[in-house]
Amino acid sequence: MLQRKMLRARRDLTIIEGTNAAILLSGVRHSYGPRAVLRDLDLTVRRGEIYALLGGNGAGKSTTLNALLGFIAPSAGAVRICGVDPVTQPAQARALLAYVPESVALYDHLSARENVDYFLALAGAARDRPSVIDPALEAVGLPVHAWDARVSGFSKGMRQKVAIALALARHVPVLLLDEPTSGLDPQATLEFNRLLDTARARDVAVLMVTHDLLSAVDVADRIGFLADGRIDEERTATAGSARFDLNALHARYAQPRAAA
Amino acid sequence: MSAATRIAREEWRALLRNRAGVIATLLLVALVLVASFVSIERRDRIEADRARYQASVDAGFDRQPDRHPHRMVHYGQFVFRPIAPLAFFDAGIDSYTGNTIFLEGHRQNSANFAEARQSSLLLRFGQLTPAFVLQTLAPLLLIFLGFASVARERERGTLRLLLAQGLDGRTLLGGKLLAQAAVALAVAAPAFVVLAGFALAGVAGWGATLLLMLGYAAWLLLWALLAVLVSAWAHDSRAALAALIGLWLIGVILLPRALPEAAAAQVVLPTRIETEIALHRDLARIGDSHDPDDPYFNGFRQQVLARYGVSRIEDLPVQYAGLVGMEGERLSTALYARAAADSAGREARQNRFVHAFAALSPLIAIRQVSMALTASDPAAHLDFLDQAEAFRYRFVQTLNRMQAELIPHIGGEDPRVSADNWKRVPRFAYRSYDPLRDAGAIRRSLLVLAGWLAGLGLLFAVTARRIGRVAR
Repeated sequence: MLQRKMLRARRDLTIIEGTNAAILLSGVRHSYGPRAVLRDLDLTVRRGEIYALLGGNGAGKSTTLNALLGFIAPSAGAVRICGVDPVTQPAQARALLAYVPESVALYDHLSARENVDYFLALAGAARDRPSVIDPALEAVGLPVHAWDARVSGFSKGMRQKVAIALALARHVPVLLLDEPTSGLDPQATLEFNRLLDTARARDVAVLMVTHDLLSAVDVADRIGFLADGRIDEERTATAGSARFDLNALHARYAQPRAAA
Repeated sequence: MSAATRIAREEWRALLRNRAGVIATLLLVALVLVASFVSIERRDRIEADRARYQASVDAGFDRQPDRHPHRMVHYGQFVFRPIAPLAFFDAGIDSYTGNTIFLEGHRQNSANFAEARQSSLLLRFGQLTPAFVLQTLAPLLLIFLGFASVARERERGTLRLLLAQGLDGRTLLGGKLLAQAAVALAVAAPAFVVLAGFALAGVAGWGATLLLMLGYAAWLLLWALLAVLVSAWAHDSRAALAALIGLWLIGVILLPRALPEAAAAQVVLPTRIETEIALHRDLARIGDSHDPDDPYFNGFRQQVLARYGVSRIEDLPVQYAGLVGMEGERLSTALYARAAADSAGREARQNRFVHAFAALSPLIAIRQVSMALTASDPAAHLDFLDQAEAFRYRFVQTLNRMQAELIPHIGGEDPRVSADNWKRVPRFAYRSYDPLRDAGAIRRSLLVLAGWLAGLGLLFAVTARRIGRVAR
């Protein structure tokens, strides 16, 4: 047993040392009680790369994000954010990433600007209004008249834009997105995808957990299918206009769901 | 501005938006102020009454006509205990024990053996004083303002987003605690200002005043900590509120009442009637001075005759009945003193029993600190009783000596001593009680509070480490 653990640890270290991955999960296992959710999950995302993680309900997508955020401690395997272990050094690892949850919770009594300012202050990031906050809000396409309005009246899409503005304003090397386009209209989804292009250009590693195959196809460099707690299949974008074979992807994506 | 301060600032903004919370806080601050001024006014009024009654009683005693000294022994004396300067803050047991005692010959003062001194009274709801507001109501306010401090963040989903910014648990909880501690300080501030005013005016000592402030600051900080920690551990804010109310009910209401009952069952105090019956029995055993064949007083008579070198009572230069009175008073006083010491010892055991459980309910510790430092605790009351009893003995024996020495020179069927002599009878002069006299008890109670804070501090560190897991 001990020998197996040592071998696994050595393998984890070898992988970590031999990669320049900004996001790394190696042999990660996690269970909720008797139910195993992640089973030897291996996943890497390099800087300047967008990885779309697709999977059915219960496939382990949220648990993967929780492991990267340091909200759970996997029972085995290694998790690193730019080389920092989020389990043992959660604050340091989180300082290197920006996270946009599926349902963005903001402080309703604060305006969009104040929310971004508050979270930036807690992150210890620069939060100069003209040079940091306003350009970020502008970049995500939030109407200027909404910047100083309380977010209590914001739609889900507008809240998402505020969270993305916060992520952009932090200028971190890793971006974790949980269902980023859910609730966005097609135009907003398109705008959001262009924002991800910008992030990629800034050498940011992006991991987006999504059900939105179209968006993934539009923006991702790699697409991974998560099933039964591990990457079942991975596709890489090809050069040219048809980056992925959408029909094949759709067939593959529908398969585990139908099986489930 | 640090991240913790920023969190505290946003917490205050949220508190200010909570109209019910703002009203409750303002009401409590007003209550502390009202309680302070009402208590000061009540103390001043009682002190003025005391001074007036003492002067009136003394003048009444001086105005007595020529009388037999023994009648003056039974005319008696009222003595009044001045209220300690800081007793406005915490009335302690003064409300139950009172501060007026009637003293006369042959019997101990009216307050000793009173059932009102039983220790359960130490922990009853008191009158409206700053101490009552800070001990009982302020924790409730801190619960209502703090129960959702972390749980609310989890419920609306902002906790994950906060932590995802790289904010560590210690800073997050520290900010929440800072906000709650500031509210606690705001509530206690009016009382602290009044206390400091007393110390600045030289009415109260700085030592006792600062220790009192320290004790209450620790007590309120303890509740602020508890509110934040329970909020961090609870599944949701409703569960946090229920848990905190439960802790308040157990710690502030139930235990401080149940423990004295347990102490009373553990160390039984005789009732006043039982004590008096036992004392009468013991007095009867000493002897009967009117019985010519009583062995004790026969012996006493022989000693007196030998001392004066005479063979008959009629040849004594002093009145024998006066000497018998003095001897009887000496014997009965010793008997009463033993009974009082026994009673005080039992009460002390009861109190020790209760305070041994202060670790379970820190309210017992803060009450002990508060009553001791405001000189309204049983020790201060017992000190007054001791002074009153010592005075009673001097007062009665002075009159007995007058009877023994002056009556033989007056003679007649109805011998009376000149009224001029009443001015020679001693008057009660209260020696102020030093609230720091029993420093050991105060130190022990402060250590209990410090122990609670240290324990919660440890839990704070553990919670801060696993707040990320809690956020899941």
